Amino acid sequence: MNHLETFLSCSIFAFQVTLCAFLYARKAQRILPFFTAYAIVILVNMIWLWFVYKVFGFLSVTAYFCYWISILVNAGMRSLAIAELCRFKLGAYRGIWGLIWRGLAGLSALFLLHAAFDTWGQPNRFAIYSLTLDRDLEIASVAILAALLLIHNYYGLSLEPLQRTIAAGICFIAATDAIGYTILQHLYTGFLFPIFSGNHSSLWRDLLPYSVRINDLWSTVHVSCFMFTIGIWCYALRKPIPARVEAPELLPSDVYRELSPAINMRLATFNDRLVELLKP
Amino acid sequence: MNEPSIVIPLAIALSGLLLWLLISGRKSSRMGAPSYSSLDGLPTAKHYGYFPQIRQALSEEDAQFLRENAPPHVAKRALRERRAVARGFLKGLHEDFSNLARLGRMIAALSPEVSHQQETERLILSLKFQVLYSLVWLRLAAGNLPLEQLEHLTGLVGRLATRMDAAMAEISALSAGQIQGGLGA
Repeated sequence: MNHLETFLSCSIFAFQVTLCAFLYARKAQRILPFFTAYAIVILVNMIWLWFVYKVFGFLSVTAYFCYWISILVNAGMRSLAIAELCRFKLGAYRGIWGLIWRGLAGLSALFLLHAAFDTWGQPNRFAIYSLTLDRDLEIASVAILAALLLIHNYYGLSLEPLQRTIAAGICFIAATDAIGYTILQHLYTGFLFPIFSGNHSSLWRDLLPYSVRINDLWSTVHVSCFMFTIGIWCYALRKPIPARVEAPELLPSDVYRELSPAINMRLATFNDRLVELLKP
Repeated sequence: MNEPSIVIPLAIALSGLLLWLLISGRKSSRMGAPSYSSLDGLPTAKHYGYFPQIRQALSEEDAQFLRENAPPHVAKRALRERRAVARGFLKGLHEDFSNLARLGRMIAALSPEVSHQQETERLILSLKFQVLYSLVWLRLAAGNLPLEQLEHLTGLVGRLATRMDAAMAEISALSAGQIQGGLGA
């Protein structure tokens, strides 16, 4: 590890510890258990990776596999935290939640399938598999959060301030990573791939310093964005988390059964009139 | 999806959409989540009630009078302003429609069971309305939409609003009955 990486690692470690401390102090595990678990997992992964680097070396094969596995574990936990955000408010509205969770699950399944196919088509390298899978999961995270917020807006609901900040943070880091990973993947699977896949070891030795510089630059961008994200999560956690809002009083089922078709019929008639209006 | 030219704009667009939704969600959170009380306070329609005055202002007799008696530049300006008034009125009708559609969504949110078909249908109808409204607005801006057709549309919104007001009164009565029943138990 060079000086820059050491500095960035120490900084991100301090931020992650602060976030976990805030989550513990605010008893966030009662309201957001998966998000709390996500914060703990990223901290544990970092400590675990640090030990791996110490024992096996930063450029060892073990460190390489452990790093990419930890990236996938983080992505999995983040997905659970997003699922929790989806259920947080909508879960209280039984009727629409029954409809929406299927839609969101279907959308997630589509993205997972796409990620699997996308990864399948990559050159045979574990890092490129992980990078592609994680990149696709990052895009899926942003898309699902966007779908979730669209649904909230559509039904006149809104996330609580803390949940909104968590969503904004996940979106920011996921979008940054998706862009960064895409550029990296394009570099490594594009014109750099023949250099380290074929018999060009002498050429690769010359290019190694440039590769290290690219990695350093990306690490700096990624870690800075991640620290910013953790910073805004900590800022949102500075106040005690409000108690869970009580479930709304629901209407009798008959009201929906009677009114909804009537409203839709009227809306359809309205559209028909608009079409008539447009006829020459 | 390996091309940076696809992924990078997609990620930026999705983030922009999310940011916009987060900001608008923050504004709507101040209005509160759907509840019985928010159903009561929702105006079903208000703009259609002003149609007689608008009709007077946009009548062909008025236009004819202007063309015959006012200087050309004044008549032209007045006609342009009449179109702006009609556009404003159409915007009001859009608001009425949106409120009624919102009522449908709020009822869905507050229902223990919702129909997939009904919700999909309402979503498609709302999207279709947006497209049609834009086309009507363009025609009105171009000045070739007869007033009678606008009147026809207004009548429809009016009838719809009356029915919805009656439905709202029923829901309020039901709500009051539930609360009383709860207190009596």
